[in-house]
Amino acid sequence: MLSTIIVKELKNIIVSPKFSATFAVTSLLLLLSVYVGINEYQATTRQYEAATGLVDQRLRETRSWARLSNRVYRVPNPMHVFVAGVNNDIGRTSIIDPTEQVKLTNSTYNDEPIYAAFRFIDFTFIVTIIFSLFAILFTYDAVNGERENGTLQLTFANALPRVHFIAGKFVGLWLGLIVPLLIPIVLSVVLVLAYKIPLAVDHWMSVAAIVLVSLLFCTFFIAFGICISAVTRRSSTSFLFLLVAWIVISFILPRAGVMAAGTLHPVASVAEVEGMREAFAKQIWAKHRDEMQERFRKRADEMQNMTAEERSAYEDEHAWEMMEQEDKARKDILKQIDLLGKKLEEETRNGRRQQEGLALVLSRFSPASAYQLAAMTLAGMNIDVKSAYEDALSAYRASFVTYKEKKEKESGDSGGIRITVDSNTGFKFSMGRESGSLDISEMPRFNASRFSFSGVLASALPDIVLLCAFTFLAFAAAFVAFLRYDVR
Amino acid sequence: MFRLLIEKELREIIGSTKFAVSFGVCSILILLAFYLGAANYLASVAQYNAARAENLRQLEGLTDWLAVRDYRIFLPPRPLTTLVSGIANDVGRTIEINGRGDLVAHDSRYGDEPIYAIFRFLDLDFVFQIVLSLFAIVFAYDSINGEKERGTLRLTFANAVPKAHYILAKLIGSYAALAVPLLIPLALGSLLLVVMGIPLSSNEWMRLGVIIATGIAYVGVFLTLSILLSSLTQRSSTSFLMLLVIWVMSVIIVPRGAVLLAGRAVSVPTIEENNAKKGKLNAQLWREDREAMTKFQPSSSSDPQRMASEFQKLMQEMADKRDARMKQLSDRLNEERTNAQQVQRGLAFGIARVSPAATFALATTALAGTSLDLEYLFRDAALAYQQAYAGFMFKKTGVNLSRGMIIMRTESGDPEKPKSINANELPVFTYSERGVSEVMQAVLPDIGLLLLYNVLFFAGAFVAFLRYDLR
Amino acid sequence: MESGQPVFEAIGLTKKYEDETLALDHVSFSVRAGEIFAMLGGNGAGKTTTINLFLNFIEPTEGEARINGIASHKDPLTAKRNVAFVSENVMLYPNFTALQNLDYFSRLGGKTQYSKENYHAVLRRVGLQEEAHTKRLRGFSKGMRQKCGIAIAILKDAPAILLDEPTSGLDPQAGFEFIELLRSLRDDGKSILMSTHDIFRAKEVADVVGIMNRGKLIMQKHAAELAGHDLEELYMKYIAGHIRDAA
Repeated sequence: MLSTIIVKELKNIIVSPKFSATFAVTSLLLLLSVYVGINEYQATTRQYEAATGLVDQRLRETRSWARLSNRVYRVPNPMHVFVAGVNNDIGRTSIIDPTEQVKLTNSTYNDEPIYAAFRFIDFTFIVTIIFSLFAILFTYDAVNGERENGTLQLTFANALPRVHFIAGKFVGLWLGLIVPLLIPIVLSVVLVLAYKIPLAVDHWMSVAAIVLVSLLFCTFFIAFGICISAVTRRSSTSFLFLLVAWIVISFILPRAGVMAAGTLHPVASVAEVEGMREAFAKQIWAKHRDEMQERFRKRADEMQNMTAEERSAYEDEHAWEMMEQEDKARKDILKQIDLLGKKLEEETRNGRRQQEGLALVLSRFSPASAYQLAAMTLAGMNIDVKSAYEDALSAYRASFVTYKEKKEKESGDSGGIRITVDSNTGFKFSMGRESGSLDISEMPRFNASRFSFSGVLASALPDIVLLCAFTFLAFAAAFVAFLRYDVR
Repeated sequence: MFRLLIEKELREIIGSTKFAVSFGVCSILILLAFYLGAANYLASVAQYNAARAENLRQLEGLTDWLAVRDYRIFLPPRPLTTLVSGIANDVGRTIEINGRGDLVAHDSRYGDEPIYAIFRFLDLDFVFQIVLSLFAIVFAYDSINGEKERGTLRLTFANAVPKAHYILAKLIGSYAALAVPLLIPLALGSLLLVVMGIPLSSNEWMRLGVIIATGIAYVGVFLTLSILLSSLTQRSSTSFLMLLVIWVMSVIIVPRGAVLLAGRAVSVPTIEENNAKKGKLNAQLWREDREAMTKFQPSSSSDPQRMASEFQKLMQEMADKRDARMKQLSDRLNEERTNAQQVQRGLAFGIARVSPAATFALATTALAGTSLDLEYLFRDAALAYQQAYAGFMFKKTGVNLSRGMIIMRTESGDPEKPKSINANELPVFTYSERGVSEVMQAVLPDIGLLLLYNVLFFAGAFVAFLRYDLR
Repeated sequence: MESGQPVFEAIGLTKKYEDETLALDHVSFSVRAGEIFAMLGGNGAGKTTTINLFLNFIEPTEGEARINGIASHKDPLTAKRNVAFVSENVMLYPNFTALQNLDYFSRLGGKTQYSKENYHAVLRRVGLQEEAHTKRLRGFSKGMRQKCGIAIAILKDAPAILLDEPTSGLDPQAGFEFIELLRSLRDDGKSILMSTHDIFRAKEVADVVGIMNRGKLIMQKHAAELAGHDLEELYMKYIAGHIRDAA
């Protein structure tokens, strides 16, 4: 009995012109999105390689340890093929230097705003917008449409338990809508293989998880559509309701949630925080300058009564010590600025994290948000990418600075240009020691953390569970509503 | 007769549940867009003021204008920006001013606060582009074939009703039934701006008015298209499906596809490539200059004051020369990049304009000052400011500012407490948008295109209905 | 209206579709004022095509359909001023009340002088219960909608009335009342052309009965000629092709 209903549902879907049209459109879009993703990934990789190549070249051409500064680019993530996430919104590169804070700048959209004008198409986008819309299109009249056609009465003139009917309906619709989707999905995977996108095992597992979550999301909309069609009498009503619900779920709730959080929990902007840090830096540098002047005066005082020979002898004797002293003072200040920077950074990050937490809680009332967040997290493309990367870069910066200091000390190169103008010795210009080219083979290199499936899965789990809960609720509601449905 | 037909059309639409629900949803969304836009604007202003204050505060206590570093200018938030975001959240809002050299905008909103990047903002542009167009379809997809399905078409034409009158009334009536109610929440939303104390200049009010008018024209495109398809097909389910596919294509696929296509077809030198070229030249110039510095021989070796000033003069000359050459290269590179970008954009938007949604987005973002033009406008304003800044600094310090070199002068002798500088003396950065007439000129083709789509579909619907099988 | 003048007139009416199907093959008949002509026939016999031709929904391949002497395809607007139409299964406007539907269609028919009372009166005449008059049609049953459709036709007050399966969906009581209504309209001098499957009612009310099959009018007989015959039997025989006469 159950199988009769399932087969009928399947046939009903597959022979309808609606089906061939939507199947063609979704397949096309899905393949297009993956094709675009592959191209984007390849372009990003090329750009990444060129940029890091240029950085390497510059490093090799640096002649002085003091002037050694590095720049790190975000490593392209092959999951970009399926999920763009915030990849194009956050900066691609940061300078690594003792005097500068780590900060990701030059986002793709900032550098190439033309892409920001209409944004990208990716797999998750197609699923969120198109799949859900089409799921509604096939389910809005699942129950009340049969009532309007009179087939519901006809069906229940037979000895058929209601549970069988609604279960058969669900299974039939599910198979009819989900199984065809597997065709373009498999084709996309073939496409990815054909283009030799370097996906590791963990990536593949993540891709599989994203596909499963996408199907789960579609399942939610199928269940939701059936549910609404089982609580309304007329298919035109349920269609209108579902369309409004679709707009609210996929567009309104996510945005409104985030924007409400922004209003409820404002945080300082990056520019403001930077201003604070700079104010502190200025202040401390000014103090340093005063102290330095004081020191120089003291030294000059000591030399006050010396003859020219004595003076130069004294200077030669103390030059190294003086330089050490100045250098130490300078480094101390950099450290202090760093420390304050870290503290400010931490404060804003905490504030921001709270805001983000609130925003995501609010927007997760929508299954579409839960789905998108899950997919982004699984792909390693969610908002945490920025802070995670900046943390990793900060750690790298520390090791880079240590290395640089060590090398500077070893080579005795304090950097900078020293110009001494003295009424006795005249004009002296020194450039520090230039060693031709530097041996940077031991320089620490930045290693982006490896993509780990278990890691992303763990962080995506809450969203996946939430999505399951939404689907289960919709399904249970459909079930209960149908058991009480007036079949007349 | 004609009036009767229009009246019926109006009453039929306005009396329907479909209308009540979608009008309710649209009103809420429009008001929400205005409210969130206003709130967002106020928050942005607070952020902007705080950042500016911090930026000035860090100059406090400085005693030498030469020590001014990290002076930044900020793109001021503008009310229309939050109503039609465009690329405003994608491009940098902060530029560091050094008096010379390249200007780079940093700190985009989405980059700083990626949480907003996940789902983007709910703005007026979005409400029109996605929601209202969809509702226009829902309203009109069965306007002709639905009447046929209900048998009213036969009944109507059993009377002495000319087909031309009927279709004209249908078009005008649907248009009025959709546009007029929309104006209510739009007017209320505009009022909300006033109530919330958002300062809009007359220029901005005018542009907001044109944005709304463009929005109505855009919704009209989908309305007339729906009527056209509904009079080309016999069953309303067919026309609905076709419209849905067209909608998806127009709103989602064509604009993005066009940009990606143009991105592939026209290559634009990347910022990295340009930076590398600039870095290379810079390094080379430095090497040359350093040699020149080591070779420097003062005319007298007894007067430190004179030696110092002579050296400084040399440095200054070299810096000027270096900067001139750097500027030459960077101007050339920037121009090449800008030219390539223009070609790319021309191609991308040319293709994208096939889609009314893209045309609408281009027109409204231009009107709101959030089109791609924003990037150039900000850069140009910053360049102008940089000159003013350099001029000011020259007046204050007597030297042209140079970049990349901090001259720390430590003088022995009695310290004389120098006077602090007054940071407020710095010239103020102003960002002014294009004038109404200039903007109008720029968006006229797009608005014209939208109207053309209206006229085409209107005419198409008219002709199609004259040949429509009434049975 | 002169009673001798034909109001509906089909002269050699032929309709051949583009796909070469012959929907109507040289059909000729006429209906005078104060006369009811009932077209009988199965699905696809050509009844609705005939009606469509009178309303100029399609153009004839050959011949003419005239209303009050005006060929429909030559001057459709004038022709249609003289005809009221009741179609099978009309849904009307579901968002309008019965009164609003009546008002709209009467105005469309050029009758602007009616008051609300007139509408109520007509709706009472067709037997629609009072409380439904101001309700939206959305919840109406098929029979109630049909009554509204008939009311619309009455209100147009045209000399010619075209009815396409008017009794489908009416309950026996309403069907009986409808027959009474038709009689009274005929007595007012209206000329009525109706298509129907309902042999029983056709025999009861029609002055002339025509039987159509495969696009041809294969029988046309006055009520007097039919007296004493079992119309149902006759119909079956004609359809089966046992009897042929020059229609």
